[in-house]
Amino acid sequence: MSKKRHGIVEILLWIVVVIVVLWVISPFYWAVITSFKKPSDVFRLSSIPWIQFQPTLNNWQTEFNQRGPEITRGLLNSVTIAVGASVLAVFLGSLAGYGLARHRYTKWRNQSMSFWFLSQRFLPPAATVIPFFLLMKSLKLLDTQIALILVNTTFVMPFAVLIMRDMFKELPVELEEAAWVDGCSRWQSFVRIALPLAAPALVATVIICFAFAWNEFLFALVLTYKKASPMTVVIAGTEHTQGVQFWYVSTRLLLAIIPPTILALTVQKYIVRGLTMGAVKG
Amino acid sequence: MKKRREKGNVFVIPAIIWIFVFTIFPLVYSFRVSISRVSYGKITGLAGLSNYIRMFGDYRFWGTLRFTLIFVLISVVATTFLGLGLALVFNRKMRGLKFFRSLLTMPLFTAPVALGYLGVMMFYEENGPVNVLLKYLGMGKVPWLSHPWWATLAICMVDVWQWTPFAFIILLAGLQSISDEIYEAAIIDTSSGWAVFRYITLPLVSPVLGTVLMLRLVDAFKVFDVPFSLTSGGPGTATRTLTFYIYTQGLRNFDLGYASAMAYFLLAITMVIGMLFFRRYRELYE
Repeated sequence: MSKKRHGIVEILLWIVVVIVVLWVISPFYWAVITSFKKPSDVFRLSSIPWIQFQPTLNNWQTEFNQRGPEITRGLLNSVTIAVGASVLAVFLGSLAGYGLARHRYTKWRNQSMSFWFLSQRFLPPAATVIPFFLLMKSLKLLDTQIALILVNTTFVMPFAVLIMRDMFKELPVELEEAAWVDGCSRWQSFVRIALPLAAPALVATVIICFAFAWNEFLFALVLTYKKASPMTVVIAGTEHTQGVQFWYVSTRLLLAIIPPTILALTVQKYIVRGLTMGAVKG
Repeated sequence: MKKRREKGNVFVIPAIIWIFVFTIFPLVYSFRVSISRVSYGKITGLAGLSNYIRMFGDYRFWGTLRFTLIFVLISVVATTFLGLGLALVFNRKMRGLKFFRSLLTMPLFTAPVALGYLGVMMFYEENGPVNVLLKYLGMGKVPWLSHPWWATLAICMVDVWQWTPFAFIILLAGLQSISDEIYEAAIIDTSSGWAVFRYITLPLVSPVLGTVLMLRLVDAFKVFDVPFSLTSGGPGTATRTLTFYIYTQGLRNFDLGYASAMAYFLLAITMVIGMLFFRRYRELYE
């Protein structure tokens, strides 16, 4: 009896799995097949390639022939901005994280400082977008990659601080203590012992920060016009001029979506910490 | 010992300076803008609190606030409940769970603005996949993007699609950290699944649930990308969020003072949520 009941539970479970998987996959699937459809097939509902419609590479080719420079520039800007911001943020973040994990501060207590970094997470971007615009305008940095690197570093650094703080806390302190006894400075033990041990976490943090910076939209929209526009702005710009040309829109969408989603698959171990800034250990 | 302390400061000071320069200073400057008369990007005089007072008489401001609150309510409740439900269902040892979890992280890392445009395709009224599916289920054509209520629902659905996995993954981690022994002990005392959930699971997972709820609340209040791309705030101005209105007023109409005042209002909301969060979940960050 119980065995039979167990079987039913198992079946129900797999039904839930199938529904959830379809629910998650279908928008991605739709974008992919739309990008391979002839315009005449897009507005007839058809979802199975080769059977319901004949896939074509036309959209991708046209996109790259006609709008190649714009898309390449968008991708390059996205990569530059996201790499610049994530590396800078993790550099600053691992320094601060190490300080908070290994050192006792007396003036500002460690916990207060951690909370202070965490509080950045609650700041709405809209609150700083106007001063940033005016600031970048007066510095003549509008429509430059530097402006967006600075902005995104500011947004993702609190993540980096708190995740790295956690990671350093979990390393055994004995190794570093032995090094201090041998005359290593804090700085040397950080560079030679702690950093190499935390390398996997460091890389994961860079990847998570990269994805967040890649996906940022509001500041990119406000601070860039053309030259420094990342992919998120490139897809936004084309929609207005091309109306419902879904077959083109979908190619650009995919180019914007694919890099961070694929990268995120490589950091599964750190994702729960990353998303909660270390509040929940996964 | 003193030397050690100085060396310790070296580690945190760069990050602190960075935040002072790129967060605190802009916020202070923004406050100055909000109490000033601004024309062509230059401060020309003092406006006092008039920008703040103007907010309360601006029906468009109330409209955006109303939509923001509706969106926050629907999206936070739906993502948290669905996420909790899924986490409870999958809190077991099963094959492929890791793969399943990985698959669910994908929506979290897709650019929301891209999702909005993807939504335009999915919710397309003439033969879009969502409407065709609904037709098979016997429903008429739904005016997803041209009717205020349906547009609201469409935006919420995109958000729920993206953020339910967030709640799921974190709550699953929370549930998995509850040790089996506690459940084994509980099963000796009671056979009711509900009692186990109510008196064992829920209290133990509640700090994690609180974290999810707070993070979702804050993120939902900030929403901009999806309404911008999916509906452009429309039809009319029905789906404009606070951030959207701040963006339009400040950076399209260049009414910088007024936009800054509204930005401070939004900041106040998220700060209150943040404070509630810190008060309750201080120990999680020890």
